[in-house]
Amino acid sequence: MSIFRIALNNLKRRKMKSFFIMLGLVVGVSTVIGIITIIRAMNADLGDRIDEFGPNSIILPRSEGVEMGNEMSQEINYDVQKLTMEDIPKILASEVSEYINIISPKLIGAVDVGEQKTLIVGIEPKSEFMQKPWFSLKEQSGIKNGEKIDELAFVELPETSIMIGSSAAKAFDLKSGETIVINEQTFSVFGVLNETGGEEDGLIYANLAVVQSLLNRSSELSMIEVSAYCNACPIEEIAMGLEKALPNSRVIPLKRAALFREETIDRFSTFGLALSGIVLLIAVLVLFKTMLSSINERTREIGIFRAIGFRKMHIVSIIFIEAGLISLIGGIAGFLLGSIMAVYAGPYLAQIQGEITIQVGLLLPSILLSAILAIIASAYPALKAARLNPAEALRFI
Amino acid sequence: MSEIMISLKDINKTYKSMGDEVQALKSVSLDIYKGESVSVMGHSGSGKSTLLSILGALNPPSSGLVEIDGIDIYKLSQERLADFRREYLGFVFQQFQLIPYLTAHENVMLPLTTTKRSNREKREMAAQVLERVGLKNKMNRLPNQLSGGEQERVAIARAIVNAPPLILADEPTGSLDTKTGDEIMELFQQLNKEGLTVLMVTHNPDNTKYLGRTIVMKDGRLSDERLNLN
Ligand SMILES: Nc1ncnc2c1ncn2[C@@H]1O[C@H](COP(=O)(O)OP(=O)(O)OP(=O)(O)O)[C@@H](O)[C@H]1O
Ligand SMILES: [Mg+2]
Repeated sequence: MSIFRIALNNLKRRKMKSFFIMLGLVVGVSTVIGIITIIRAMNADLGDRIDEFGPNSIILPRSEGVEMGNEMSQEINYDVQKLTMEDIPKILASEVSEYINIISPKLIGAVDVGEQKTLIVGIEPKSEFMQKPWFSLKEQSGIKNGEKIDELAFVELPETSIMIGSSAAKAFDLKSGETIVINEQTFSVFGVLNETGGEEDGLIYANLAVVQSLLNRSSELSMIEVSAYCNACPIEEIAMGLEKALPNSRVIPLKRAALFREETIDRFSTFGLALSGIVLLIAVLVLFKTMLSSINERTREIGIFRAIGFRKMHIVSIIFIEAGLISLIGGIAGFLLGSIMAVYAGPYLAQIQGEITIQVGLLLPSILLSAILAIIASAYPALKAARLNPAEALRFI
Repeated sequence: MSEIMISLKDINKTYKSMGDEVQALKSVSLDIYKGESVSVMGHSGSGKSTLLSILGALNPPSSGLVEIDGIDIYKLSQERLADFRREYLGFVFQQFQLIPYLTAHENVMLPLTTTKRSNREKREMAAQVLERVGLKNKMNRLPNQLSGGEQERVAIARAIVNAPPLILADEPTGSLDTKTGDEIMELFQQLNKEGLTVLMVTHNPDNTKYLGRTIVMKDGRLSDERLNLN
């Protein structure tokens, strides 16, 4: 028989006590693992969905003295025309080209619809709608109620068709399939967009080349919206690189969506880690108390061990081996429970669309964490037990 | 002439607890020879257990010299003292002296745990002494599956498994009925005949007939010494 055997038998034959210590470990470890798994999934999700967060930068013509609105088009002075189709290859040749995912050039201008003036936007539909996946069609010509409407990013917009924002459609009393006369040219309404709540709702969309000819501004652009691949990309740096490639333009870095999402994750992480900290602290205290009371309970036994000729080290070893064994099992169980909680509860907590996968790489850290907990909790009791004067301990007999 | 096994010279022991001082032993001097068997009697609180724990290398005296087999034991370091207990002493206590989560066999193996012997050797040695005390068929039971007398036998087996020269027992029959107590006393007598030195604290005057010499303690002093003539 060995010291190890003594510790093992103690755990095996005192199932209730072992169970409660284990419970403390499992609660502590599973909380931490669950939260870390969710945070990791959120970050991965952020990377996956970065395209959905729209452009990272907007390239505008450099226009001295004209104060732009903060981000979007409402105050853009569309008479300033220094941006052209030729600038697009320059973006692809810039030093930050490796980051560039989607380039969406557009021209905005005022047109006449009957008596009224309104704004039309020339776009390359694929890039525009891939970059802004929050756009979707409410109605589509040729598609009846109840039938599936096409995904915007895959729609081919005919040259003689337009798409129209929901409030513009209301203002002109238009439905999909009907026709509209713009600057004396007739277009059919390909589809009506769902409301986004922004100024886009009041716009008419057509193919870029069509709008360029409609406005008599061939090859001109009002702005180019650029999105980058990754969420961790240095947006400021990309903007600077673009500006260098396009000296006539000014580049506004956008941080909104991705940054907001990142902030959410940051906040969740901070909250989660704080929560883990509290749970861990409680777990340590519970363990500490259980271990301590078990030491008091075992004073007699320790007296016997000492009388029989066990050194202090032997007794400390027994207690640490016990803690080690429990923490091994508790670590694995905590890992499994935490992972399962993350997989099933995570999507609701973190509003992640994709699946949360179990992070096998966290198994070892779980066991380590569990061991640290058990050692913190048992170090003091172990030393207290070993320091016990054997004669004192034997008085309990 | 026999050699001296235990030599106590002018032992005093004072316990201090919460400002209170109790003088448990007062100027106790005593020699015990190798192969002797000695019973220690006296009223409750007279200092018997204290004497035993000082002899047992568990409890340093406040003053005085304790020599066992010529070794000034309290000069040893804590760890050496633990080793000394393992090699020289076998303890038998009244009640609860077994580790509850270890089987009889494992309990008996305890003193061998920290020695350099093979596992098989340890198992065999323990099985042998269990056979010696008549418990071979029950060695895989936990203590709570054994009767009081059987537990006491396991404790004795554990005390002698290491073949120590000296056995110290504190009221080993205190919780047993007369018949079982007598059987245990016969076992001690037998062990003594085989050469072990035995020192036993007992409240039961009938037990003294199994042992050679009786020491009586009173208020921390040795009050009366007499030789048993049997
Ligand atoms: N650790 C201790 N701290 C304080 N006082 C103690 C301690 N151990 C023993 N005493 C006191 O020392 C005196 C002798 O105690 P001891 O246990 O040696 O008596 P005893 O003869 O074994 O008694 P009993 O027959 O009841 O077991 C008693 O007054 C006891 O209260
Ligand atoms: Mg006593």
